[in-house]
Amino acid sequence: MKITLVLFSALYVLSTQAQILTKEDSLNAGLIKSPNTTVISGYGSVKYKYQTREKIAHANLDRVVLFLGHKFSNKISFFSELEVEDAKVTGGEVGGEVALEQAFLKFDINKNIYVVAGLFIPRIGIINENHLPNTFNGNDRPFLESLIIPSTWREIGVGLYGNLNSIPGLNYSVGLVNGLNSAGFENGTGIRGGRFEGRNANASAIAVTGSLLYYIQNFRIQASGYYGGSAGLTKREADSLLLSYGSFGTPVALAEADMQYNHKGFSVKALYTIVNISDAQKINRAYANNTPQVMTGYYCELGYDILKFFKTTDKNLTVFARYENLNMNHKLPKNGIYNGTLNQQFVVGGITFKPIKGVTIKADYIFKETGERNPALVVTPFPQSLPYFKKQGFFSLGLGYSF
Amino acid sequence: MQKRREFIKQSCTLCLGVLGVGVLSTQLTSCSPLPIFKTVSTEKIIDVPLSSFNQEVNIVIVRDANLQFDIALIKKTETDYDALELKCTHQANSLTATKTGFMCAAHGSTFDLDGKVTKEPALLPLKKYKTQLTGTSILIYLT
Repeated sequence: MKITLVLFSALYVLSTQAQILTKEDSLNAGLIKSPNTTVISGYGSVKYKYQTREKIAHANLDRVVLFLGHKFSNKISFFSELEVEDAKVTGGEVGGEVALEQAFLKFDINKNIYVVAGLFIPRIGIINENHLPNTFNGNDRPFLESLIIPSTWREIGVGLYGNLNSIPGLNYSVGLVNGLNSAGFENGTGIRGGRFEGRNANASAIAVTGSLLYYIQNFRIQASGYYGGSAGLTKREADSLLLSYGSFGTPVALAEADMQYNHKGFSVKALYTIVNISDAQKINRAYANNTPQVMTGYYCELGYDILKFFKTTDKNLTVFARYENLNMNHKLPKNGIYNGTLNQQFVVGGITFKPIKGVTIKADYIFKETGERNPALVVTPFPQSLPYFKKQGFFSLGLGYSF
Repeated sequence: MQKRREFIKQSCTLCLGVLGVGVLSTQLTSCSPLPIFKTVSTEKIIDVPLSSFNQEVNIVIVRDANLQFDIALIKKTETDYDALELKCTHQANSLTATKTGFMCAAHGSTFDLDGKVTKEPALLPLKKYKTQLTGTSILIYLT
């Protein structure tokens, strides 16, 4: 009797969990009939990383993100993502972050067009919009899409998205968002530090973005661009720093093109990007942050799901390899200082196993090679300065989920 | 030496360009618009005439003014039709329909012509409506 009760209890719990998962995944996906619904969902990832050169390992809960959405009507919905990075945020300590990744309202204009307004991620690059751990290979997001194109690059603004009936597969987007803050640019992470991400953004500088995305056969081809100001200052402040001010003053331009191919378990990804900061010299003069004038980068990735041989399984075991080339010194202004460590190449190889849709187990090895370190940029003198290794290796094991 | 290297480089670039245009042009032959059947449903049933299908493709996009999302009506065989709701099961975005499948531009999910997920983040298959073949049309039951 006891055993029967336990079994029934277990079955009840399992069936309840199944219902919850289904409901969560549905978001306002319409599987729930009522137009007025609220749904919780989420994703996250954890990893163990071993650095082969210095024989040191780290384990980190990279992120846990809670998604909360609400459907007010068939035309208006709310989307939000609240993220905790590195598990813990403690006052006075470096590390960890609690941030809203997105918080916007979506207005469906008709079956082909919708508008988003609020804190949203414009369509730039691959990872920016598609950053869930079960959508990319490797424990780390492609380095290019962290260091040159900032990943999860969100700002406050309005975006219009649509597709054309006359050309099946063709999608477009345009957006107007607040600009960047060139005072936050850092040598080594490009424009990443200049994002406001919804916090007290100085909207005197603005930016426009746009993309064309085309699905044809098994290809997904995209081109996108960004152009915006990075000095949202008063005239007095800008003049004192000798910066160009105004809506598009001290501009940053980014162009990107990418291609993805998926067919019968075989997958290919490739992306190229270029960032131009024409007033880099002025930015360096104002903020001394060694901003480059031009950064470029590209990567390509090949993958194959070897379980495709067994057509009856829904599991996925993808073997992949990726090569990345980043040049964050492509062109320097006259007052820029060459930093060889920012000419980076990565070779990443590994496996991604999905025992079920939404869960991923990853193992990969990263080989990283950079240029020489510029002694002029070493602030701490010998013997206190740590040695710099041009070649390094990292072995990572990790888990990810999305529901 | 420099000129020769430049020449080889330019020739290779040109060849790759021509190859790319060739491949793309073969792909573009299949990008003609899918037929769209516009209607206003009554009593939760959509009546789609068989004549809506043209000879080139086996898909008709059914656009009902009363529905939030389009429906893809797919001719599997002469007597078997599937009706799939073109709403991504990840975050309820409209799907882009092509002759080979359905794609979500928002987060990259893709679905095959059976409605099964072929690329995450979507986890669930597309909603399938019941269909019935009559003499001259296909009935889609929205319940």
